[in-house]
Amino acid sequence: MSRTLRKPILGNPAWLIIGVFVVLQLLPVAAVALNAFATDWNGTVLPSGFTTDWALRIFADPRFDQALVHSLVIAFGATVVSALVTVPAILVGHCYLPLLDRWLGALVILPYAVPGVVLALGLLRIYSGQYGIQLNGTPLILIFGYVPLGASFYYVPIKNNLRAITVKDIIEAGYLVGASDLAIMVRVILPSVLRGLAIGLVMNFTLAISEFVYANLLVGGLYPTLQVFMNVLREGSGRLTSVVVTVYFIIVWALSTAVIAALTERKDKK
Amino acid sequence: MNSKTRALAFLFAVPLLLILFLFEVAPLLAVAWNSLQSDDGMTLSHYVEILSSGFHRNAFQTSFLISAVTSIIGVGLALPIANLLRTMPGNLQQVVLTYSNIGSNFTGFPLAFAFIIMFGLSGSFTLLLAKAGLIDQFNIYSTGGLVLVYAYLQVQLAVLLLFPSLGALTPEIEESAALVGASRLAFWWRVGLPILAPSLIGSFILLFANAMGTYATAFALVGGNANLVTLRIGELAAGDVFSDPQLADALATLLVLVLTVPVVVEQTLLRRRYA
Repeated sequence: MSRTLRKPILGNPAWLIIGVFVVLQLLPVAAVALNAFATDWNGTVLPSGFTTDWALRIFADPRFDQALVHSLVIAFGATVVSALVTVPAILVGHCYLPLLDRWLGALVILPYAVPGVVLALGLLRIYSGQYGIQLNGTPLILIFGYVPLGASFYYVPIKNNLRAITVKDIIEAGYLVGASDLAIMVRVILPSVLRGLAIGLVMNFTLAISEFVYANLLVGGLYPTLQVFMNVLREGSGRLTSVVVTVYFIIVWALSTAVIAALTERKDKK
Repeated sequence: MNSKTRALAFLFAVPLLLILFLFEVAPLLAVAWNSLQSDDGMTLSHYVEILSSGFHRNAFQTSFLISAVTSIIGVGLALPIANLLRTMPGNLQQVVLTYSNIGSNFTGFPLAFAFIIMFGLSGSFTLLLAKAGLIDQFNIYSTGGLVLVYAYLQVQLAVLLLFPSLGALTPEIEESAALVGASRLAFWWRVGLPILAPSLIGSFILLFANAMGTYATAFALVGGNANLVTLRIGELAAGDVFSDPQLADALATLLVLVLTVPVVVEQTLLRRRYA
């Protein structure tokens, strides 16, 4: 290990720099959370007092409940649909169809070169009923529309898992003991990509609950999500918006931490 | 593996291919096709209008500059941070990477709002920095504000992208360099950076494309006030006053062309290198 070449832990400025980085990462979240519980915060560095009034007022607002439910429906819907269609395609591409695999590799990278606002324009053109299909204004356009945006979040980690095992030998060994292709896929290949799958699930959920461009341009007030609701609130008091942002953040943080913790535990057990 | 197995295997990929076509390829083609339409048939007039308009050229320039500057900041800060992170215990690495993942998704309205609280006209940090005499005033609703907010996202995204590729600098490489008496500086200049060059360039291009395409964060922070390509597209597509859908399509097509060039070049370069 090259660690012996490095300075000992104590007195190592690396800790200080990483510490500062983590603090800076969390700073915006802390600012919003403080603002959500501030009585008055104007012209001072820190709030002058704290209250739960804003939080209670938002929780009593039926529009908040509605937006929260909408966001959760879309986030879970998009995560489930994207996993069901994306993961099998990645597995058969890697194991049986190299040409398909190459195409998938290019198609999942495409959204990096094509901004969401551009795709939103195209979806607006196609699914507003001009061609007999009316998806815009319904949650379906978001659930299906998020699949291409999040496909790379499954593709990259799952491919990394697949490259670490020798798929060809496993399939041949499976044939030798008389296992069917489906059985090999479900009982051997799928379990070996669970880590990548978990990362993909978390990142797709985070994407779907954080997305604003599609939600605002394609659906807007017809099925308002948390992000759209924040945009509506911004005309009013910043305190109310802060409460909504804090709730959104807690959902994303709790889920990510739970999944990462579960993954780390699995690894430790092995 | 016989052809029947392959055909069956392909069936499992059909739903994804169908969705990718309907919700990724088709909208893109629709945008490109509509950008060439006018009431009288095919035309390039929308492109002529954009290229001859100082306002729209300026939008591309501003987007380009903000994206280039924040991508350089992103890679420049993330490389030392990711490198230091390698020396940390595994648990801490997980925590930092988890926060980077959440942080790089903490975009749009929540992010803009957080920065307004901190750096708005009477934000905590505006006040602190003014008290310390470091700044006179800071306007978050400006190009400078956009650079600050984008940089926050870009650094975290770059840490996520660069951290795995630093594994290429194995302990053996570092030890060999130390054995021949290379200084830290010489090590990075002669060995480290050349090895990492492909991932540094790749990360830079992804960050650049990410910033060029950012709509939600900019919209939430400055509304229509900054002249960015994405904001112009959104305005032309959905704005009540300025609506001109075909011009929006032409702007969008140009933006995609600008972004496709570096992404394709980078992909082919990488392929050739590792083929």
